[in-house]
Amino acid sequence: MIEVQDLHKSFKTKTGMVHAVQGVSFTAHDGEITGLLGPNGAGKTTTLRMLYTLMNPDKGNVKVDGFDSIKEAENVRRRLGVLPDARGVYKRLTARENIEYFGELHGMTPREIADRTHALSDALGMDDVLDRQSEGFSQGQRTKTAIARALIHDPKNVILDEPTNGLDVMTTRGLREFLKQLKAEGRCVIFSSHIMQEVAALCDRIVIISKGRVMAQGTADELREQFGEQNLEDAFVKAIGTEEGLHA
Amino acid sequence: MSALITVFKKELRDMFRDRRTVMISLVVGTLLGPVLMFGMIKLMANRVSTQMEKPLSLPVAGAENAPNLIAWLKGQNIIIKPAPKDIDAAIADQSEDVVMRISPEYGKQWRKSLPAEIELIHDSTRQDADIPVERVENLLENYSKTVGTLRLLARGVSPTAMQSLQIAHRDLATPQSRAGQVLSFLPYLLILTAFLGGAYLIIDVTAGERERQSLEPLLATPASRTAIMSGKILAACAFGMMSLIISLMAFKICFLFSTGLGVKVELLMSTILLLLIVLIPILLVGACLLTLIAASVKSVKEAQSYMSVLMMLPLLPTIILMVNPVKNQIWMFAVPFLSQNQMILKLVRGENISNMEWGVYLSAGLGLAAILWTIAARLYHREKLAISA
Repeated sequence: MIEVQDLHKSFKTKTGMVHAVQGVSFTAHDGEITGLLGPNGAGKTTTLRMLYTLMNPDKGNVKVDGFDSIKEAENVRRRLGVLPDARGVYKRLTARENIEYFGELHGMTPREIADRTHALSDALGMDDVLDRQSEGFSQGQRTKTAIARALIHDPKNVILDEPTNGLDVMTTRGLREFLKQLKAEGRCVIFSSHIMQEVAALCDRIVIISKGRVMAQGTADELREQFGEQNLEDAFVKAIGTEEGLHA
Repeated sequence: MSALITVFKKELRDMFRDRRTVMISLVVGTLLGPVLMFGMIKLMANRVSTQMEKPLSLPVAGAENAPNLIAWLKGQNIIIKPAPKDIDAAIADQSEDVVMRISPEYGKQWRKSLPAEIELIHDSTRQDADIPVERVENLLENYSKTVGTLRLLARGVSPTAMQSLQIAHRDLATPQSRAGQVLSFLPYLLILTAFLGGAYLIIDVTAGERERQSLEPLLATPASRTAIMSGKILAACAFGMMSLIISLMAFKICFLFSTGLGVKVELLMSTILLLLIVLIPILLVGACLLTLIAASVKSVKEAQSYMSVLMMLPLLPTIILMVNPVKNQIWMFAVPFLSQNQMILKLVRGENISNMEWGVYLSAGLGLAAILWTIAARLYHREKLAISA
């Protein structure tokens, strides 16, 4: 379970302070998929970076299974599987070696790593590329490798930043099935997307973020009800107040 | 600790998969110095032996004024030939190294036992002319002395009256220290290899990894940033150590081949081992400094732009000592680059290094590395580190 309370984060830039996240709160439960939906630049990635302790919030706090993200950062990272926005793989290593590296960093034994790699490779359908050097991998193969290494330690909580970015239709479908499987295993899954249809199809709870703020949150039905719209897309437009970022 | 070893092993494996880069930096880069040095020793030896032994042809103007001197010179491996018309021009366009002119007054002065005039015309800024000029000068000096002695004897004066002093040299240079002269740029080559030998790797594993977008996932693992950074630094040090060992072995082999060339240098295995110990601090200083740079800049390109400045650093003590030679003093063993320079020269010259000098040297070198490591670790904890965009 991941609890997020009143997160704030600003950055200094050449043109002045940018208040990227201004008070984001939500809770993601185990056995559910929580979607962060918002246009590009809404603050989704920054919010997620604070969840996986890459950044410290200026204000507010994050609790992962009860552990504080600042005071117990290492414990938090142990409980998280993270697919960040940056998902570079080591080109001169094979997919398997990439995955093993992260397993070793999590302190797993070779035996555990081999078993987990096998299971993940099955679930993600990447047996054919497992022992190839990742130089020249397609976007989909790279993403699968990155997901497998993020989940090697069998984490209870999974954070994926725009996992379907740049993937073709078939790979996206496969990935959706995989996320549903994670949910069925009782994990707490958070993923961000700017694609409404995807969020609507997958998520138990939707958190709509725009301009660094949570505009609305709840199940798809609750959102439709809240904004008095039959169509989720219309509810989304009402929520963020503009039509920007709607292109799927 | 286990994260450190994991990172260390992975970086080396990753590095060695890149065969071409490894070949260039490990083999070509490290062998260039020894080969260059061997070539220089050989060229120097060739030049000296040919210029010292082969008959020297000497253009002489006014040879007819001193037939005896000319005859004597001919007996001393000198070939006399007529002087060119325009002597100055011949020297300027380097068609002649040195020209001798005998004054028309020579005979008259000679008969009166006055110093007879001889002029040597040459360009002292041309190194290549040094040896011929010196040869002619020495011969004339000899001739002058011999005749002078005969004249004194003829007047019933002992030739020793001319000598108020007798100077004898006792040269305490050991064979190793003489070789040390030839080796004056060995320290620079070794220090440079130690200091920047792993530069490509160390920039690549921090700035390069960020550019390839794999640093962010790495930092999202439970491994501490300090352990990750230290693993990377150690991998670069291991790589640098390999370059040094290859380089020293190459020097050893190249010295074996150059023994016949008048330079006797030997690199014993024990010396090599001590040299490696001496170079460890600078290896660490280099790796920590480059990590610090790579963690603070925005891109690989920016990190590489520091390289040209860093390459000059090890040259500084060599230049300063060349212009202003100073005796060994204990403070020198605490100054980076200068201390390595002194230690390496002492080792190569076969001189004793006191425990005090070792102590100062190692604590200063490792202390500096520790300071740089601490700063680099701080930079590694900045939020900005992982974010490339």
